[in-house]
Amino acid sequence: MVAMLERRSLRDFDWLLAFLAIGLVCFGTYQIRNAQPTEPFWIKQLIGLAIALVAMLAVAFTDYRKLINIAPAFYVFGLILLVIVLVPGIGLKINGQRAWIKVPGIGQFQPSEFVKVTTAMMLARYFGKNRAQALTWKEIAIGIVILALPIILILGEHDVGSVLTYVPLLAVVLFLSAIRMRVVLISVVLSIVLLPFAYWVGVKTHLVKVYQQERINVILDPQNADRRGFGYNTWQSILTVGEGGLLGADASSAHSQSSLKFLPEPHTDFIFSVTAGNAGFVGCILVLLVYAIFLSRLISGARRAPDRMGMLVIMAAVGGMTFQIFINIGMALGMLPVIGVPLPLMSAGLASLIATFIAIGFAISVQLRRFVN
Amino acid sequence: MKFEDTSQNLRVRLRIIQILVIAILSVLGVRLYMLQVVRGQLYAEIAENQRRRRLPIPAPRGVIFDRSGKVLVDSQPIYNVILSREDVRGKDLYSLVKPLSDALGIDPDILRDRFDQLKTQPAFESIPVKQNATPGDIAWVEAHVLEFPELRVELQPQRRYPANGMLAHVVGYVGEISPEQLKQTSYKEKGLKPGDIIGQSGLEQVYDEYLRGKDGYREVIVDSRGRIQDEIETVPPQPGQDMITTIDLDLQEAAEEQLRESVTKRGVIIAMDPNNGEVLALASAPTFDPNLFSQRITTKEGRAEYNALLNDPQTPLLNRAIQSRYPPGSTWKVPMAVAGLQQGAITIDHSNLVCGGGIQVGNKFTRCMGNHGTPDLKTAITKSCDGYFYRLGLKMGIQGIESMVDEFDLNRRTGIDLPNEAVSWTPSREFKKRMQPRDPEWRDIDTVYASFGQVYDIITPMALLRTVAGVSMDGHLYIPHFLKEFKPIGEGTAEYRPGHTFEPLDPARPNPKIILIPEDMHHLVVEGMWGVVNNGGTGAGIKMAGFDIAGKTGTAQVVGLGKDVGKNKDHSWFVSYAPAFKPEISLVALIENSGFGNQHAAPAIRKVYDVYYRKTRHEEPPGAQIAQTSKPTAGTTKKTAEGQVAQTQ
Repeated sequence: MVAMLERRSLRDFDWLLAFLAIGLVCFGTYQIRNAQPTEPFWIKQLIGLAIALVAMLAVAFTDYRKLINIAPAFYVFGLILLVIVLVPGIGLKINGQRAWIKVPGIGQFQPSEFVKVTTAMMLARYFGKNRAQALTWKEIAIGIVILALPIILILGEHDVGSVLTYVPLLAVVLFLSAIRMRVVLISVVLSIVLLPFAYWVGVKTHLVKVYQQERINVILDPQNADRRGFGYNTWQSILTVGEGGLLGADASSAHSQSSLKFLPEPHTDFIFSVTAGNAGFVGCILVLLVYAIFLSRLISGARRAPDRMGMLVIMAAVGGMTFQIFINIGMALGMLPVIGVPLPLMSAGLASLIATFIAIGFAISVQLRRFVN
Repeated sequence: MKFEDTSQNLRVRLRIIQILVIAILSVLGVRLYMLQVVRGQLYAEIAENQRRRRLPIPAPRGVIFDRSGKVLVDSQPIYNVILSREDVRGKDLYSLVKPLSDALGIDPDILRDRFDQLKTQPAFESIPVKQNATPGDIAWVEAHVLEFPELRVELQPQRRYPANGMLAHVVGYVGEISPEQLKQTSYKEKGLKPGDIIGQSGLEQVYDEYLRGKDGYREVIVDSRGRIQDEIETVPPQPGQDMITTIDLDLQEAAEEQLRESVTKRGVIIAMDPNNGEVLALASAPTFDPNLFSQRITTKEGRAEYNALLNDPQTPLLNRAIQSRYPPGSTWKVPMAVAGLQQGAITIDHSNLVCGGGIQVGNKFTRCMGNHGTPDLKTAITKSCDGYFYRLGLKMGIQGIESMVDEFDLNRRTGIDLPNEAVSWTPSREFKKRMQPRDPEWRDIDTVYASFGQVYDIITPMALLRTVAGVSMDGHLYIPHFLKEFKPIGEGTAEYRPGHTFEPLDPARPNPKIILIPEDMHHLVVEGMWGVVNNGGTGAGIKMAGFDIAGKTGTAQVVGLGKDVGKNKDHSWFVSYAPAFKPEISLVALIENSGFGNQHAAPAIRKVYDVYYRKTRHEEPPGAQIAQTSKPTAGTTKKTAEGQVAQTQ
């Protein structure tokens, strides 16, 4: 039985998915090294990959249904972590955000990345029952509550970027839980109309601070906005990307935007700018292509999932990752304001890496069990 | 999908999500195409420029020597604190005022002025904010590189000028190019930029092109804080060419000393070689310290010093030798004598004219300071007989005087290689119209005035010296100049610059200008001037036996008779050359408001001749004792013989 499972596991194991992810991490590590050749971030990233792979395998070979069934426990544990972060002395403050926990030996780590996984599990569990009719308002409200608890705690860390990445989890889950199409359409239309209005009201009532407005202005006109102040990061990122040209600039140059420190946070938030500078347009398109195949692979896995829970947990991961890719690269390309969101699989950072591989582990686990019933 | 039911159309919803994912990635791809392929070149250039800096290496300015190779002006390296432009773009410059003035001891007002200036100069690369930085300043800048990455310390040459303001009016000074100058095409064409140090006065200005050299630069890579990370290339500066001037430092020192010790301490002494126009000494008093402009002008004390100079009623910044005009008084008689003979108003054999103790023209009697009977030309010069020259002037007429002015270039600049030379005012019908619009008609009395060096004759000391030196050289009028030679530099390299000797700044001017003076006429005038010193004339007090000084005293009337006291006292002139029949050196002295020429100007000149004599003859000058003892008698004779008065009866 065990041997059979093993053999079937090997056959059904989603090798392509795993290799695409590992390939992206390795390529990302190479770029982290380009970005910070004198710092050990790339080594840490490789260690992180090893840990992440172990976590992925552990999740993959565990029945996801068992895990999701005890999702409330994980969810509560995640909330506790977020509370701990807020405790001064344990929570570490970096760039004004108290979002890290100091862990002896490893350094610091960001629980909000993990809590994303537990929240997705919680959502999958709540919305994973088979259903015959459209979502009720009560169900939607409970979904919002599940999302709101971690979000409120993360807002306490002043980590707006992380909060944003939670929203698509719920959006995808609701969308796939047969929320009425007209509700979807109305909310899309409303947000298109209301967002600028809300911004306008925010400016008028001074709820949106001047520095936040500056960040928006920078996007509208990066070259002429305050290039020394708020626009600096965006402008430098655009320059770094543009300098890559078609085929990329000399990666080993000691005069690169990142090694001369014109580009801030080149190994985390702006890893894609570094990649674009080194690999050029051709390299970037290849990276986007790999992401496209990777995400499509996840989606087709979800389509073949044996139950709603499995489907939802995979699609929540797809929604979360796609959104983060869009926010991060959009920021690097000067289309979106600077928000500290890591690029999945490429940015340096243990928590993000491990959380992403746990999600992949779920996808593989779902795949492995599609015939088990 | 086993759990799927048709009402939820889950398959469609999944497809929608997949399409959204691809769409999002495509949008990013399009944006990448815009940034990298369409505008990649542009961004690459901008990125390249923000990490490249060109740091100028100032070229050492050429050294200025006197004619025997003694250093007059050189440069010493000093440390300056530099503010570089690229690193302050977009920053509020004025937020730097307080920290910089506190830490480096710079006056905040001056710093603010400087920043005001910068706003109007978008092209500046870097400017010095503190010159002559102390070791403490340098340490402070280096310790605050994170806070003020726009500051750098650089070694730059600073000009050093002679002490006591010696030669200040000749060598001039250097200074930073001004915003007004930057707007002029003549400066733009030379590739000058804000912060550049250029010659702003004197020889420094006229020969700036040769002295300045060409700045080199270091092309470096800087990081985002402006710290230098790497050096790409270094282009060494090309030093300026060294200048050998015609100045004789010993004569110059003697001239300066004579002015310093004169009664009013205001005046001019010029020494020139009549054989070629080389100026051996030029002193104008009072003088100023040119180091003010090259070293201290950016400090508060320096500004105050400069304002004091500008407002000083004694006008120390003025080069009196070429920028001030004075009535020549009786020295005017030298060109008058030559022209009188040339024009046939008198002849060698019949040069006698009545003195008459003065002359009656209409209802005005203009008197002579003595009664000389009916002197010949030689005596009239020697005794400085005004009556004689009134009548000579009337014989020549205003046309004759005008053609004399023209012949001796007195209505033109001498062409000396110094900037801002003034043109003398000389008698003409037009001049009177301008001067006295209420009585524009030229009358005989005006001719009388014009013939003895007053009213209509107002000339620069340099113009007078050139005239007398020209007479001494039998009509060869050289253009006075200071440039002997620019040394060639960079032999055997691509930057080779050949040597250069003096050429008239106006290439159309002949050098020398030759005036036809027949030998016998020349001799007669020279004998008259010889007699002034050697034959009991008005300058007898400075006689040097065996060294024939020829000259002419003059007293320039400042106001009418009887009012010549204090600041209205007459100017004292002496113009001369020696030896009389084989000229080597010509000298003019003017002591402002001191009185008679023989009392002040002539003795001052004698001291300079002494130095010259010792230098060239290697022995003590003769007759120095005699001059001392005979002074009182010479003085009394002078009082009656010298001068002129225009008096209305």
